[in-house]
Amino acid sequence: MDGERFLARVAAYRADGWRLSVINTTAVLPSDELPQGAFDISWSFALGTRLEHLRERVVPGEEVPSVSPSFPSAFLYENEMRELFGVDVTGIAVDLRGQLYRTATRVPFSPGAIRRRLEATGRLGDGARHAAKPQPRPTTEAGA
Amino acid sequence: MANPLSLPMSRRALRNLVARPATRRYPAEVRPRFPGARGQVVFDPSTCVFCNLCARRCPAAAIECSREERSFALDQMRCITCGVCVEVCNKHSLSMSPEPRPAHAVHDASVGGGRPRRQEWRLAERPAAGAGSGA
Amino acid sequence: MKRTIVPLGPQHPVLPEPLVLDLVLEDERVVDAVPTIGYIHRGLEAMVEKVEYTEMGFVAERICGICSFMHGMGFCASIEDIMGVEVPERARWLRLVWAELSRIQSHLLWLGLGSDAFGFENLFMHCWRMREEILDIFEATTGGRIIFSVNRIGGVKRDIADSELAGIAERLRALGERFAEIARVFRADPSIHHRLAGVGVLPAGEALAAGAVGPMARASGLATDTRLLGTHGYDRLDFEPVVEAGGDCLARVLVRLREVEQSIDLIRQLVDRMPKGDGQPIETRVRGLPDGETFMRLEQPRGEVVYYLKANGTKYLERFRARTPTFANIPAMISLVRGHDLADVPNIILTIDPCISCTER
Repeated sequence: MDGERFLARVAAYRADGWRLSVINTTAVLPSDELPQGAFDISWSFALGTRLEHLRERVVPGEEVPSVSPSFPSAFLYENEMRELFGVDVTGIAVDLRGQLYRTATRVPFSPGAIRRRLEATGRLGDGARHAAKPQPRPTTEAGA
Repeated sequence: MANPLSLPMSRRALRNLVARPATRRYPAEVRPRFPGARGQVVFDPSTCVFCNLCARRCPAAAIECSREERSFALDQMRCITCGVCVEVCNKHSLSMSPEPRPAHAVHDASVGGGRPRRQEWRLAERPAAGAGSGA
Repeated sequence: MKRTIVPLGPQHPVLPEPLVLDLVLEDERVVDAVPTIGYIHRGLEAMVEKVEYTEMGFVAERICGICSFMHGMGFCASIEDIMGVEVPERARWLRLVWAELSRIQSHLLWLGLGSDAFGFENLFMHCWRMREEILDIFEATTGGRIIFSVNRIGGVKRDIADSELAGIAERLRALGERFAEIARVFRADPSIHHRLAGVGVLPAGEALAAGAVGPMARASGLATDTRLLGTHGYDRLDFEPVVEAGGDCLARVLVRLREVEQSIDLIRQLVDRMPKGDGQPIETRVRGLPDGETFMRLEQPRGEVVYYLKANGTKYLERFRARTPTFANIPAMISLVRGHDLADVPNIILTIDPCISCTER
């Protein structure tokens, strides 16, 4: 992604009095075109009743500039992107160094991690349409 | 220091001195249940045809039902009383009772005391209406 | 000066939920605060990988016990948006009745917690006593006090009879009278003013830069209210967003007081304007699988919530994200505690009405 051009557009939103509403990341699973998967990141800005989005697709390892120069409050979203998805965000205003969430798995929502989970449960791709429901836990009562 | 009687809360506080309590003397006095309350799912084995629809639609996977074994099991601790099974049951074998699940249902009945969390029915023959056997 | 770090939380008398703030103090003054969340991160968003979209609404409801109706409603509305489902008229109105009841319930809960935090336990008791009545209405109409399970994709599961709706409006009118007495205490009691006025002032410009939403932003003079979008049927109601200019802790209390009154009025309007007649359709049958994505905004008791849903034509959604109001308000809260005495920190934290379950999902 073109970092400078992107930051200029973000700064324009700030200058026009927009509020950062949400930064959302969606993991794109690895495929033939994207062997490592990707992230679809959208930055949403709100003004009055309007909501506008900037959308970028980045691949793992690609640097995403922080929008903190314009919106310092973005630090929570950006720390979340890094901890849950593994997006390489640079220049976060308040860098929590992986301390925001306490998760059992490292970067649980990265494309690779999601793909591994889906593979393990047989829900990947077309299988998703026919995937099994979660099975009840075994119970221990007498006679069960 | 303001005059305590002029404080806005004072009137209310004085009335509270003589007012009846807002609470009940539970468990001696139990509030009647609201008719539509979702307390627990009740199973009537006399009408069930073991079609398995409830088990497939249960979001919490709390129901196990088998046509071959003619068995039905409901895990009360997994059940989220959403009422989906009650809606999908064509035979009205499942109903929602406003009585809540007893708080002393236990995870492991072998520990003793309390009611088992899992209720099971295995029916070789169809029993008379209303007669079911718990686990 | 020597700096001390005092951890506030995860267990703290004023915190109903586990939030951790590492407060950097110089003497009694807070110079910095570093938040840690994640104590109740349950990974609910990741459950879209194994929970079908038709059942995900039950998961969305369980994001938080106070906002549960709105989460269920937001999720179902998002799916309806993707699939282009038209919700029956009656269901639309009923959803709004429950949504506004949720707001009253949530604000009464918060007013109680707030008074407990600034040491007015008597008031706490009275607020929660009124909240019980709202929960009774919920139990009678939905079957649950906290988790309602009445929303479903395409409509709602239960209807409320017209006679019952009139009864609800009447009960709320009576509740409003008793609430007025309690609201007068919040507005006039000198000890509350002494504790809250001028504490934690968030100017309008800062609130905007920090992305504050809901009562937090409205107490700073920003008239942001997602209900003004007119979606979900709010366009058929007459209301103005409740705005206070003060920006301090007291203003945030006043906004919520007035919003309780506003919601009681909105429910009266809903009951008056709702097309009469029992037995109207309350549900559209939904067939097929969702494909597409949507951003959906709703005004929860704590402020604007944004749902993002991405579906790929299978039973399983690709992404479900709820940006909850507290998540947006935490940056503002952190900037607020800087410069204040340690003793004021609990009040400042509480007046943003933090909902950590929502924040961490």
